[in-house]
Amino acid sequence: MLIVQVIVNWLLLGSLYAAVALGFSLVWGIMNIVNLAHGAFILVGAYTAYWAFTQLHIDPFLGLPLTMLLLFCLGWVVQYVAINRVIRAPFLMTFLLTFGLDLLIADVVQLLFTSDRRSINTAYSGFGLTLGALHIPFDRLLAALIAVLLTAALSLFLQRTRTGNAILATGMDRDAARLMGIRIDRIYALTFGLGAALAGAAGAMLVELYPFDPSQGGVFTLRAFVIVVLGGLGTPWGALAGGLVFGLAETVVPLLPGIGPGYDDAIAFALMVLVLIIRPRGILGKAFYA
Amino acid sequence: MTRLFSYLHLPRRYLAHTGHDSSFQSRSSAVRSPLPTALLSLLLALFCSPGLLACGGTASSSNTLLFGAPLSLTGSTATEGHLTLEGYQLWVKEVNAHGGIKVGNTTYQVALKYYDDGSSPTRSAQLTQQLITADKVNFLLGPYGTSATLQDEAIAERYKIPMVEANGAAKAIFSRGFHYIFGVLSPASEYAKVMLEAALSLPNPPKTVAIISANDSFSEEVATAARDFARSQGIEVVYYQTYPSGATDLTGVLTALKTSAHGGVPDMLLGSGHESEAVTTMKECKQLNINAKLYAFTVGPATPDFITSLGPDANYVLGSSQWTPQEHYQGIDFFGTPANYERIYKQTFGHEPSYQSAESTAAGLAFQYAIQNAGSIDPQKVRDALARLNIMTFYGVIRFDATGANTFKPMATIQIQNGQVATVYPKEVANAQLLYPTPPFSQR
Repeated sequence: MLIVQVIVNWLLLGSLYAAVALGFSLVWGIMNIVNLAHGAFILVGAYTAYWAFTQLHIDPFLGLPLTMLLLFCLGWVVQYVAINRVIRAPFLMTFLLTFGLDLLIADVVQLLFTSDRRSINTAYSGFGLTLGALHIPFDRLLAALIAVLLTAALSLFLQRTRTGNAILATGMDRDAARLMGIRIDRIYALTFGLGAALAGAAGAMLVELYPFDPSQGGVFTLRAFVIVVLGGLGTPWGALAGGLVFGLAETVVPLLPGIGPGYDDAIAFALMVLVLIIRPRGILGKAFYA
Repeated sequence: MTRLFSYLHLPRRYLAHTGHDSSFQSRSSAVRSPLPTALLSLLLALFCSPGLLACGGTASSSNTLLFGAPLSLTGSTATEGHLTLEGYQLWVKEVNAHGGIKVGNTTYQVALKYYDDGSSPTRSAQLTQQLITADKVNFLLGPYGTSATLQDEAIAERYKIPMVEANGAAKAIFSRGFHYIFGVLSPASEYAKVMLEAALSLPNPPKTVAIISANDSFSEEVATAARDFARSQGIEVVYYQTYPSGATDLTGVLTALKTSAHGGVPDMLLGSGHESEAVTTMKECKQLNINAKLYAFTVGPATPDFITSLGPDANYVLGSSQWTPQEHYQGIDFFGTPANYERIYKQTFGHEPSYQSAESTAAGLAFQYAIQNAGSIDPQKVRDALARLNIMTFYGVIRFDATGANTFKPMATIQIQNGQVATVYPKEVANAQLLYPTPPFSQR
């Protein structure tokens, strides 16, 4: 029964990690920007949900659309005001800019909420389905389902709508897309906004499951980075695949005899190197901008 | 994230965009990755400079003693860093209000100079060097945490500036043969022992214990000491596991733990790590429906946001504490008693003191009495006076063994009861009964 529990833990955590990486993958895949402020957006999402829960008594899952909307606006503005200016500049400039944004946002969050650890405790936290020795917590299950739902929704949006197609077209060939009448700056702002909204959703779900403090943004940027490299760029399902592989390193591998949990980071990065050697595009990846 | 950057070795020419001049660069010349650090420093300067000015101690005039400290005001141990700072600040405020430190015929006012090390031990060491060489501090107060203390004490030793630290308890700090490091807090081996002793004092004590520990040197030292002590007292250690320090998810460890006691949940869960991991453990125990009879964490329950972030789930949890306001000490210092310290602290900062604050204040007191006893501000003489120090304070006895550790002060066990911290062990200082067993999460 332990095995079944571990597999359930793995699927729940892996899906949640997909949500962490989804926005990062979108922005990197379409715009070729490694958004180092991704973790900061997750942070803003987490603190928005925390604030809405403690001040307005809005459940973090029910408040998810609100959090995403707010983060979408933030992402749109950041892209339109700041990132669009350096989009043609060398790769390092966007790196620098997003790194600066990360510091700025994290410090503003710390200024507003202090560095104290925050966490949301809902009335239903701790409840779950119990089948014999197997226990599935409701809040984790809900978070995992939402993560899969967001992945599917993003995939459908990109494949089936005109706007989504325009985003993909911009990712494939920026200049050709412009010649077809696509407003590149708007598409970029939209993409970045979506990326931020997805990060916000991840943050809102994370703050219900884990304690949160303003120093944690960087941790999640790094994780999103590894997950995206593992899963591959260009498709939302890549983030899910990467999330599941990364979750494997954290939940299943440590329980194997002879390997303690102390090695899970090492294993995650070893997996990343392995994937890069065997399949440089990632498990499901197909880079557009190359 | 900064580590990610240091591998990239970003070229210096991009500095033009950040508006730095070369003089700024030269200050951080020892840094391996100039750009992110420079950027970081710029931002830190922007955010922290009001704080630096507010502490008011930049000038080392003839009648001012300048104390330096690198502190983790941002980053993973920012909460604890701020509590440490408040402890130092309270000492500075009170010592000046009480007329300063008398050395012979001269009276010295005290000032504090601190920097934010961003919870990075390497940065902490650089700042210690800067405090000694550029700011010319007279004495050093410790940073937050064992890792930073291990780095900083080596710098203090090199420059022969005494450092009294209040927030690094690992044996490693005092086993390097250094002569300029003194720690006012009880050593790591005591952290878990006092909670196991509290559990053993129960009429029907727990029979099995699971020990989980972060894999940093302090936490592992505490965990191994706990394992040995539990075994020596006849408590069966059914599960012992380390996890990466700073882990955000512990479901893997906790799932294995759930069936470790002959197929069931162990009577007692003992966590040795940091506050964030203690909160994560409690949250995930609830999610995974793990109901132990007793939860105990070496670090975490004593800090105020353990209760605020867990709400009612924080109840019944045991913690070990270097100091609690309920203890009975009659000190020779201006605070006198723990209760009085709590009152003054609350007046000054508007919230309850944690043990981190109290021990940090105690570090200041150690210096104060050592300097008075030495009758000099010469670093060597003050060091010798520290080595001979034996005083009773509001914080308990401050006295150092040959290695510089304070092995003479007992610790206390606390329990969260109805959202409040209660002292439950040792019985002489307790203000509440130990509540046992912990009801299952579903019945709270």
